[in-house]
Amino acid sequence: MKPLLQVAGLSKAFGGNKVLEHIDFTLGQGEILGLLGPNGSGKSTLLNAISGFTAVDAGEIMIDQRRIDRLPTDQLVGRGIARTFQLPAMPERMSVMEVVMSAGIRHHGFWSSVLPLPGARLAEREDREKAAALLDELLLTQVRDLPAAALSGGQKKLLGIACALMGSPKLLMLDEPMAGVHPNLRNEIVDTLIRLNREGLSLMIIEHDMHFIRDICHRCIVLDRGHIVATCRPDELTHNAKVLEAYLGTPAQPLPEAV
Amino acid sequence: MFDFLLHIISIAGIYALIAVGLNIQSGYAGLLNFGQIAFAGIGAYAVGIGAHLGCSPLLSIPAGMVLAMAVGLLMAGLGGKLAADYWGIATLAVAEIIRTLAFNEDWLTGGPQGISGIVMPFDAGGQRADNLLFAGVIMGLLALAAIISQRMSRRRFGRALRLMREQPQLAVCFGYQIPALKRTALVVSAALTAFAGSLLAFYTGYVSPDYLLSSESFIIWSMVMIGGLGNVYGVVAGALLVQCLYSFIPFAKDLIDINTDIAGALRLGAVGAILLACLLGRPGGLFPERLRKIP
Amino acid sequence: MLQFILDTLIRTADLALIAVGLSLVYGLVKFPNIAHVQYAMIGAFISGYLLRAGAPLWLAGVLSCALIGLLAVLLHHLVFRRLLRSGPAHGMIGALAVSMILIALVLGSAGSAPLTYALTVSRAWAWGDALISPAQIGSIAITGLLLMLFTLLLFKTSLGRSIRALAGNRELAAASGLNADAITNGVNFLSGALAALGGTLLAMNTSAYVNQGNDLLLPILAAAILGGLGNPLGAVVGALLIAATETLVISFDFSGLSWGLFSFVPVTYINAASFIILIITLLLRPYGLFHREVHRV
Repeated sequence: MKPLLQVAGLSKAFGGNKVLEHIDFTLGQGEILGLLGPNGSGKSTLLNAISGFTAVDAGEIMIDQRRIDRLPTDQLVGRGIARTFQLPAMPERMSVMEVVMSAGIRHHGFWSSVLPLPGARLAEREDREKAAALLDELLLTQVRDLPAAALSGGQKKLLGIACALMGSPKLLMLDEPMAGVHPNLRNEIVDTLIRLNREGLSLMIIEHDMHFIRDICHRCIVLDRGHIVATCRPDELTHNAKVLEAYLGTPAQPLPEAV
Repeated sequence: MFDFLLHIISIAGIYALIAVGLNIQSGYAGLLNFGQIAFAGIGAYAVGIGAHLGCSPLLSIPAGMVLAMAVGLLMAGLGGKLAADYWGIATLAVAEIIRTLAFNEDWLTGGPQGISGIVMPFDAGGQRADNLLFAGVIMGLLALAAIISQRMSRRRFGRALRLMREQPQLAVCFGYQIPALKRTALVVSAALTAFAGSLLAFYTGYVSPDYLLSSESFIIWSMVMIGGLGNVYGVVAGALLVQCLYSFIPFAKDLIDINTDIAGALRLGAVGAILLACLLGRPGGLFPERLRKIP
Repeated sequence: MLQFILDTLIRTADLALIAVGLSLVYGLVKFPNIAHVQYAMIGAFISGYLLRAGAPLWLAGVLSCALIGLLAVLLHHLVFRRLLRSGPAHGMIGALAVSMILIALVLGSAGSAPLTYALTVSRAWAWGDALISPAQIGSIAITGLLLMLFTLLLFKTSLGRSIRALAGNRELAAASGLNADAITNGVNFLSGALAALGGTLLAMNTSAYVNQGNDLLLPILAAAILGGLGNPLGAVVGALLIAATETLVISFDFSGLSWGLFSFVPVTYINAASFIILIITLLLRPYGLFHREVHRV
């Protein structure tokens, strides 16, 4: 499997607090990687570092063998990276459809918005159709004309995913996508993500929902206090002593399968 | 009476153009610019100085617009690290510096007296015909500006600005460059406002440093907030309303014999009271920005 | 040189109290209340009218401060508290609306002519080759005294601690048992009183006039921002800097530097010099000179 994302020697400290220490891992093309760990283990910081929201103190991050750790946040879309947020804040005075249409655009398009240039109308229609298709996939079509801020927490997460997909990314990073989502929607989302993965999208997902991890992830890495303590398949997690130690705090015997 | 109404329409139209310019910055992009009037003043002075030197308006108007756009870039440059309210005050300071320059450099700007005797660039035969033609031109330009502004707000650039206004973090995530968006919004607004300022100089026939007073920026803000921040047609309505107040109250002064100070107090107080009432009761303005539905 | 120092001190005294008031309130409301300078203007007028009515200067001043303090509290409750929920932009525009109404009220009742205090004019005192009038000395002395009292209040009393806590983190302070509402009222009253006092002292040396607030707006904002909004003592340093710049710009003979091309900068450039200083400072230190001031989240 060709590597898509390579992280080497990544370290980040906030003041004296070492949040990430010498993180090394690779995500292959077409892989779905789960990122697990107890609260405070550094998962969100790692995601923020890769997506350009936090500067790193040391280390390298590469997409397709090109370094991205020094790039400003707005240029990462051009490198094929998209992400969602744990608590998505959405605009109040823009409709859901408008928000999705505005995602994934790399140039602000001033002249095409003011003058009746030949390509302008076509580009606008393409955006509209792509946005409508994405909203349809994520079951948001019936709310497309509502203010984006009026959506429920779960719907906002789906909207975040739709926006992230608008830019046709190579790597999609999801920050706790299942939290707050209605159980009925869960399977639809899992199916959508798996289908997108088969079409070539790679995923890195922070999640606590173990069923979700088992349903979708090819591989998991587990963080504890800024270090990677385990890399394994989802079904191996409950047997891994390091993982249990991270979550439960003391060395423990492997728990029975029923857990 | 007809001449008076024509006058109000012309002045209101020019101020509405400036308000449309401010709306692009503050309504769509959420920028708190309190020095907007600097752009109008530059446009007015460009025409005045040009007339003084014998230049054609075809030269002086674009020159004013270019200079205003440069000042707009300067203001955008200040915006990089500043929080919104600090930036607002910095723009106020920039406008005040320009006013001080206009006040002092009389070799260029005519000093406190300004420049007068600016004639309209056309002659339709007679004062009233001139005024009528000018009013028609202003209305036409206003309609054009409003339609283009509305169209822009519904398309990519408008969406980009509004996203930056409400969720800048999301905008960055989607790949927009915030400084570039701010620069473009400011430069576009500056060009439009300078053009309106040039029209004002032609219409009134003179330009003075009083055009650049901070109170003028505040009046434009009143028009925009009362009319409807983010809604270009609301903003135009707000401009008309405030200008009517500003013009009719001194008119009443002649009718019912109140002194100048009280007339001045009444119109300032009326605008302030309506503005406050809007802010407290109807924060979106008389015609709030509505959700734009995509077909 | 002595004249320069005296002129700087006089101008600092003009600005300091009002700037401190503005900075103090910013800590609470998190936006620059541009109506604050109008409080100074109205305070000057009220003192003037009370003087004309026969009150002694000290009483006129005290009553004016009390009335404007109350006005500040009232306006906070009626207007600013509600606007804050919509964000600092609405706060600033609301302050603008309030300013317009206040100016209109004064213009309508007092007219556009300046109101002088009609105090006995005494001769200026000479000190070396510098001149200063007793009224100006009074201004500087009262300002200095009040700033000292204010510093003591802010750092040595529990009320001062509470004010600083509230400015730092409102929710936390309220949760730890501070009576946020009472302190807010107190701070508003104090800032209004300071503004009124500053306006009165200013008018004592010149006159009270309706545009006084507008003329003060940018220098006061510049002083408060230089010191860092929310840092009241920083505002004093800001006022000093603005005053020094202004005095320097108009007193300095530039003919040596410019090969005799021009000697003195025109008086009307005074303010422009301060604003350029402000803009340069903001470019280098976006939150003012003293970084310890309140940051909005």
